[in-house]
Amino acid sequence: MKRLLQGATMALLLSGSSVLANDSVLAEVGKPGQWAIQTGDYANTRYSTLDSINKDNVKDMRVAWTFSTGVLRGHEGSPLVIGDVMYVHTPFPNNIFALDLKDGGKILWRYEPQQDPNVIAVMCCDTVSRGPAYADGMIIFHQADTTLIALDAKTGELKWSVKTGDPAIGETNTATVMPVKDKVIVGVSGGEYGVRGRVTAYNLADGKEVWKAYSTGPDAEMLVDPEKTMVLGKPIGADSSLKSWEGDQWKIGGGTTWGWYSYDPELNLVYYGTGNPSTWNPAQRPGDNKWSMTIMARDADTGMAKWFYQMTPHDEWDFDGVNEMILTNQAIDGTERKLLTHFDRNGLGYTLDRESGELLVAQKYDPAVNWTTGVDMDPNSETFGRPAVVAQYSTEQNGEDTNSTGICPAALGTKDQQPAAFSPKTNLFYVPTNHVCMDYEPFRVAYTAGQPYVGATLSMYPAPNSHGGMGNFIAWDNTKGEIKWSLPEQFSVWSGALATAGDIVFYGTLEGYLKAVDAETGKELYKFKTPSGIIGNVMTYESGGKQYVAVLSGVGGWAGIGLAAGLTNPNEGLGAVGGYAALSQYTELGGQLTVFELPG
Amino acid sequence: MINRTTARLMAICVACVATTAMAQTAVAQDNTTPPAQAGAGAAAATSGNAPVAAPAGDAPVVKAEGGKLVLPNGQDMTPDHMENGRWYNSEGIPTFKTAEDGTIDYATFSGYRRYSAECHVCHGPDGEGSTYAPALKNSVLTMDYYQFQEIVASGKQEVSKANNLVMPAFGTNKNVWCYIDDIYVYLLARGAGDLPRGRPAKKEAKSDDFTTQENSCMEG
Repeated sequence: MKRLLQGATMALLLSGSSVLANDSVLAEVGKPGQWAIQTGDYANTRYSTLDSINKDNVKDMRVAWTFSTGVLRGHEGSPLVIGDVMYVHTPFPNNIFALDLKDGGKILWRYEPQQDPNVIAVMCCDTVSRGPAYADGMIIFHQADTTLIALDAKTGELKWSVKTGDPAIGETNTATVMPVKDKVIVGVSGGEYGVRGRVTAYNLADGKEVWKAYSTGPDAEMLVDPEKTMVLGKPIGADSSLKSWEGDQWKIGGGTTWGWYSYDPELNLVYYGTGNPSTWNPAQRPGDNKWSMTIMARDADTGMAKWFYQMTPHDEWDFDGVNEMILTNQAIDGTERKLLTHFDRNGLGYTLDRESGELLVAQKYDPAVNWTTGVDMDPNSETFGRPAVVAQYSTEQNGEDTNSTGICPAALGTKDQQPAAFSPKTNLFYVPTNHVCMDYEPFRVAYTAGQPYVGATLSMYPAPNSHGGMGNFIAWDNTKGEIKWSLPEQFSVWSGALATAGDIVFYGTLEGYLKAVDAETGKELYKFKTPSGIIGNVMTYESGGKQYVAVLSGVGGWAGIGLAAGLTNPNEGLGAVGGYAALSQYTELGGQLTVFELPG
Repeated sequence: MINRTTARLMAICVACVATTAMAQTAVAQDNTTPPAQAGAGAAAATSGNAPVAAPAGDAPVVKAEGGKLVLPNGQDMTPDHMENGRWYNSEGIPTFKTAEDGTIDYATFSGYRRYSAECHVCHGPDGEGSTYAPALKNSVLTMDYYQFQEIVASGKQEVSKANNLVMPAFGTNKNVWCYIDDIYVYLLARGAGDLPRGRPAKKEAKSDDFTTQENSCMEG
């Protein structure tokens, strides 16, 4: 009971009680009937207090209406709802539609940008977009070609636009943006093209750049204070990044920022993770490659780094650290803490104190994870905070031109960007996961600006000696680092989850099902097959006093590449080849919004 | 000879724009696709109705006539001679060679590695295609070697309201271009059904000739 109350307090704290200068986003996010930013709230809980659709009646749920986006590529992210208007975005060419919820979804305006199709050529993994955000009466959207735009939410009129990157050297964008106070914070994609990652803040009013913080390089360019920026309780020290690369490699060293962003209004800190170091061949970039694969906490006004934690020093498997940081207030060992929970691609679920960056929990959230025996949790140890790498699965130790086999998870991670949800009623996290392993063979590559800079061959297959499927949907206790329950799925679960006060959790599957399960037990309560595979995130809103649930269908993304033709297991001999399910047997390209309701 | 051809193509295509390449490839005959898609080359196989590769176990597409390897486009790809560590047919077009025990030549293995690094992120594992990029193991059976080279060097675009298919130009990328023949023969071996999915199990050793040629290309 105490737990339950604590969780509820957290939700209040992060969704609208504090009053700060220009906190219009906080006000909009605080209205339970709306979905103002992609993550639902600044804490990235993806939790809604709406409860008219609940575990007792969800079985009666039905399709209310649908909308075709006219684009047939991977549809990530979700619609937004502000008042009686829904905003739907598409993959490249990144169209946006404003739909009138009071008039049967009539199109109020549409925005159809002209982007150079050559941008597509430098997007590593489909032309996905994780959507816009709403702030100060504007729809803020970061296009594939790194044009950041602000549209008048009422008319669709372009208020300002600014270019944040250069596609000619492989800089693109797939992520959403996060408006904070009078700024909007954006990242960059291109870790497979040697792009130097950074986060940039622009003025909401006019799009002027305010601050920029690189993931690698000199302290001044990373907005790091050698004395005041902390790493596991100690000052970061001078030239921390430069010392961890050979020569100038940090300039093409990756650490891109294509994931999610969260924000704690009380601490005024922005949280996000950085991606893989470039290239995928670890032998070509000796050192810890800081600060790739790092959780970063920065002051929202200045960008100055408060603390860093590098999860996977000197990555050897492409385990980008960009997944969402979920902010909750919960008790650990009887003490109330401000927590940050993060499900990393590397297969470890981390719980940290988000004020200090103290590492509290680091446990595998899929038992198949084998590349590490775990993280050193002893603050007095030389290797405090580092994962112990198992030599057999070390592509660095096995060396260039050697095929390291049976590594779990695969490069796409135990979880990719598909965001988890948290319910303060159960104090559980609901996590869409991949259950896929790989063989990985690194080899030497040359860098050419604007060309892929990969340097490894890999083959992927379902986790051996398991249920044969390629995914699980799990419930996770972040204070203990334990799986509460796990639902096997035939394919990776590539859809963002939604938890609600109706004691249900929603998620989509790659076959195209929208599913609702009991938040306590995981029991399946409802499923409906939408026209295409789901890689979008489930959201909910209220219109005319009635609750709706919505999700985008449209298979693609990394899942559409790796799973379309099915996976094979080279370790099981020729007989098994092609024996695993191919996604192409279940679904086709699509681009559709499906909106659900209760009858009556 | 092949090296010279490669170098010439590279020089041409560094200068040419993608639209030119499209116009050129549009002439290509493709007996398996309707006119609306014919000549779309690599993308034709999936640009319209079949974005996802067919499951394994399809009917064989390669005719074996007296032990010969003949593509559906009539091209005889039977390995004839080796040069610089790579196999060629009688007309000097790169091809693969599989021993009776399934051992593949080194260039085909090299193609597997480079394909998986450079092409796989769009075209899916093992040349099988993705939700939006064609299965190249099939494409190489209907287009010829020179068309394949042109598309890889210059890129290719099919842009429509519903779906934008864009293939980058790799003519200046050594990680691709130094191995373009290897990638071609690997895909050919996959398409011909001689090479199962996944990492090739048995391969010939890397020859000194191959290494010399590789180094001169990567460092040149």
